[in-house]
Amino acid sequence: MQLERLDYSGEVRQRFEQAPRHGRVLAPPAERLGGAAGAIGRGVRVEFEARVRGGRIVECRFRAYGCPHVIAAASWVAEQAEGRRLADTDWLEPRRLAELLEAPAHKLGSLLVVEDAYLDCVGARRGPER
Amino acid sequence: MAAGKHATPPTMEMMRTPLYFDYAATTPVDERVVRAMVECLGAGGCYANPASSSHGPGREARGRVETARREVAELLGARPPEIIWTSGATESNNLAIKGAARFHADRGRHIVTVRTEHKAVLDTCRQLEKEGWQVSYVTPGPGGVTGVEQIEPALRPDTVLVSVMFVNNEIGVINDLAPIGRLCRERGVLFHVDAAQAAAKIPVNVDEIGADLLSVSAHKAYGPKGVGALYLRGCPKSRLEPLIHGGGHEWGMRSGTLPTHQIVGMGAAFRIAAAEQPAEAERLRTLRQRLWEGIAGLGGVHLNGDPERRVAGLLNVSFEGVEGESLLFALRDLALSSGSACTSASREASYVLRALGRDDQLAQSSLRFSLGRYSTEAEVDFAIRVVREQVDRLRLLAGGEGTARLEAI
Repeated sequence: MQLERLDYSGEVRQRFEQAPRHGRVLAPPAERLGGAAGAIGRGVRVEFEARVRGGRIVECRFRAYGCPHVIAAASWVAEQAEGRRLADTDWLEPRRLAELLEAPAHKLGSLLVVEDAYLDCVGARRGPER
Repeated sequence: MAAGKHATPPTMEMMRTPLYFDYAATTPVDERVVRAMVECLGAGGCYANPASSSHGPGREARGRVETARREVAELLGARPPEIIWTSGATESNNLAIKGAARFHADRGRHIVTVRTEHKAVLDTCRQLEKEGWQVSYVTPGPGGVTGVEQIEPALRPDTVLVSVMFVNNEIGVINDLAPIGRLCRERGVLFHVDAAQAAAKIPVNVDEIGADLLSVSAHKAYGPKGVGALYLRGCPKSRLEPLIHGGGHEWGMRSGTLPTHQIVGMGAAFRIAAAEQPAEAERLRTLRQRLWEGIAGLGGVHLNGDPERRVAGLLNVSFEGVEGESLLFALRDLALSSGSACTSASREASYVLRALGRDDQLAQSSLRFSLGRYSTEAEVDFAIRVVREQVDRLRLLAGGEGTARLEAI
């Protein structure tokens, strides 16, 4: 693969390098939710953990195996999730996320895995695992 | 300050990144080669057409072309008339395979090659399949090495050609060619060898390996791009169907005005390689071992290809728990090749590593480090440090625990 084809937006580069919100949530089990989607064998695996109080996410962390777009997307989702209610999931739309990250069309499938992992975490999976 | 004159090893800040670890893809033209080529350019140079035998400048150009032919032949253990100039190894492979297959079509239409060959061979064979030939693609043996055990069962009475590369371009293993050459000779089958990754890196002798046809390129050996050669055993007048017509150059096998400066460059590059190869191979072997030991310390690192039968400067490794595209981007201070086609929608991993049985994850996370004439110990140490840092970081991002966890396993 040629390096010049690895063309990423500033947003992706920054999140890939700094990985804000990466890690684990340290909270008692009663306050902690977790979810995951994808598989390493298929090239994308994303996990989220959230600390929840009163139905609202106070802290969210991710772990991700995937391309820089996946890592950036997971980071962005974890960041955006904080402060939201569990039931509020309409803000997460993979096509808009792809636009934000300037991801090429063939990466949409990977971003759907990020969405699935988050929905699994908040207990709102919309359908069969993608 | 000239290279190699630093009082202390250069620091990362003093190095110009990305550092080049892709000598198997191509090499810079050696300064000595550049000087020889420049003499053939410009109004004061040896620029005449080597086919213009009616005047002195043309004859001088022809003399330089023939000197280069001798230099290339010498490196291969061949005779000068057995060398045909081409535009590079891809054209040489096309001329050898299509040319031999078409010329000998009345004897049979079956070819044997290997699944891990370069695309220049595989795609040429696929083209012949479209034209009615049958091709058997054999799987290499353990460690990616192809020997007579793999080739013999595939031979048929109508086999006219066997094509096996000398050194694999992705994993650097050296195939066991001499027994294949003997087998082909016994069966009356032509034996073609793609030696693009072998010439100037290991000793190549067409008689020892029994090659009837052998492809080489200049730019893999510190010569210019755009020139190569095909060795054709015996006098190359009536053994191949030419691909290019028009002028009858190169005994009618490859028409077109000969590019004197390119050919002179290839000759110089091969002459230098003949003189320096043994010492250079030893130096590169030491550097490669240093690189491998530095990277392997991470844990979860797999060497791809036979550990012993390999060219000195090439190291192909796969990393557990790391995704290929992220790995390559994280290592953008190093110019190297990946086994991952991860920017495409298909996520197709290296067909060579898949043929060797690597699973998708390991094939996707493979890196090919190829060292060369200008590689230094300081560059290798820099690469080790960057790889260790970034692989550890990506493993942590993926939820692993980096080096500590793998070392505990």
